[in-house]
Amino acid sequence: MHERLAEYRRIAVFGGVYNNALALLSTLEDARRRDVEAVFCLGDMGGVGPHPDRVFPLLKEHGVLAIQGNYDESLAQGRTDCGCGYTDPRDNHFARLSYEYTFANTSTENKQWLGALPRHRRLLLGPHRLLMCHGSPRVINEFLWESATPSGLLRRLARDADADVLLCTHTGIKWHRALDTGQHAVNVGVIGRPENDGSTNVWYTILTSRPDLSVEFVPVHYDFETLAREMDQEGLPPEFSETVRTGWWTTCLENLPSKERSRGKF
Amino acid sequence: MPSPMSLPLRTGEKDAGHAPVAPFLRFSTLWVQITGTWCNLECTHCINASGPAEPWLKPIKAEVARDAIREAEELGVKEIYFTGGEPFLHGDILPLLGFALRAAPTTVLTNGTLIDASVADELAALASAAPYSLEVRVSVDDTDPERNDRVRGAGIFDKAMSAVLLLHQRGLLPIVTATEIARRDDADGRGMYERFRDFLVSRGIEKPRVKIMPVFALGRLARAGGPVLSEEDLVGFDRATLQCSESRVVADGGVYACPILAGLAGARLSDRGLEASFRDAPLYHSSCVTCYQTGMTCTNG
Repeated sequence: MHERLAEYRRIAVFGGVYNNALALLSTLEDARRRDVEAVFCLGDMGGVGPHPDRVFPLLKEHGVLAIQGNYDESLAQGRTDCGCGYTDPRDNHFARLSYEYTFANTSTENKQWLGALPRHRRLLLGPHRLLMCHGSPRVINEFLWESATPSGLLRRLARDADADVLLCTHTGIKWHRALDTGQHAVNVGVIGRPENDGSTNVWYTILTSRPDLSVEFVPVHYDFETLAREMDQEGLPPEFSETVRTGWWTTCLENLPSKERSRGKF
Repeated sequence: MPSPMSLPLRTGEKDAGHAPVAPFLRFSTLWVQITGTWCNLECTHCINASGPAEPWLKPIKAEVARDAIREAEELGVKEIYFTGGEPFLHGDILPLLGFALRAAPTTVLTNGTLIDASVADELAALASAAPYSLEVRVSVDDTDPERNDRVRGAGIFDKAMSAVLLLHQRGLLPIVTATEIARRDDADGRGMYERFRDFLVSRGIEKPRVKIMPVFALGRLARAGGPVLSEEDLVGFDRATLQCSESRVVADGGVYACPILAGLAGARLSDRGLEASFRDAPLYHSSCVTCYQTGMTCTNG
């Protein structure tokens, strides 16, 4: 028997909160002004930002429908590693610092909340069958970069998932591809840190059924100076707050494909 | 030095049928062993004993590579790698890279010695025109020219670094790949990554990319009777972390489980194309112990 799916016409979707409660609040207020019916988060509440527990009341008060990211899974299971999938030792060094801070400053109650999140969500947006995941439909921490994700793979993932539209996050950089089969893949981006383009804003995505699928990437401007100051006050590495202040990634660069890496400063 | 054919490349071959296996989980990576073991260098640690003499594993024809790439695209491959031997010895390597880049992000592993300004120009043009990333991995085993050349041959350091700089000047971001054959931690505590990064920055490369690979007891470093994995070793071990659970290699003679063992009968999974190779891979070889112990992958990640 088929599960009855929730139906929407216009939704907001974001990923990667990374403890950035200030950007989260700005995103939620912006989405409300744009008349969306529901707001979804594709996981990774924790990360490089300060005061992890501040994001949970916002997610709950605003009725955000979330799924689990690799960070959430690790926190909930009490793992010693964020499971981001890095292999380079410099990436892993900085990932460990942010994870240890987040683990130590996330309450048991919030870890349990993360542990109860589903790994996928399915819904209908008009006639379009959507599948939401964190990394990819098959692996929670798989990186789907725009320049490293072939259309042949996307066709197969969508077919295997029985979906018309795949939504993912995890990489930190948004993109959208309409496939020749009529299917779509959208990396909705993250709101926790800027996307390595020298701008301090972050991005989320609004999807609308007109009934053709409309994908709109929305910039969010927030009080990044306060966030960066709080990060410094919490003793987080200056490389993290530098990214918030400049819009250029300073860490976790080693797994970027060459096209994405070449667009950044470092 | 013995000829490559006389080296103990087939350590453990007879036990392949009784070995523990890695389940096939998904098809992520296609490796194209384009030049087999044909190479213009003869590195002391080469995992498949490549060299300029008659190769024990033959190059494959361009059409065989194209067929594999077409099939791989249809099967949803995520990334494609060209290796050898030295891929730039193959007369069709540049058009093949262009063909692969229309299907998926593509990486070529090279010793760099055949990349002159003209080849670098063509690679830059391919990268610019492609929707997907082109990665060029250039092997350099030590930041010290003398130490490097002891492993890779006289004068090779300068040629490889020339390739790295030519690629860099054209906006490509080559990945310098080193094996731990020359591992040494500096007095100031810098490890291999830091040493290579600092070195590349000192040469004007603002976005240094480095990959470090372990040394395998294989090819010219093969030892007869090396340890092999047992079911007991793998209790509690996540076999999904082994690259053979999601990679396949097209080389002369068929489709193999992983690039380390391409050409070896025990690792051959199909002679009828890629899809027929989507089955458990035997962890029969002493090299499988290295993947098990180090968690290494031959991919860029």
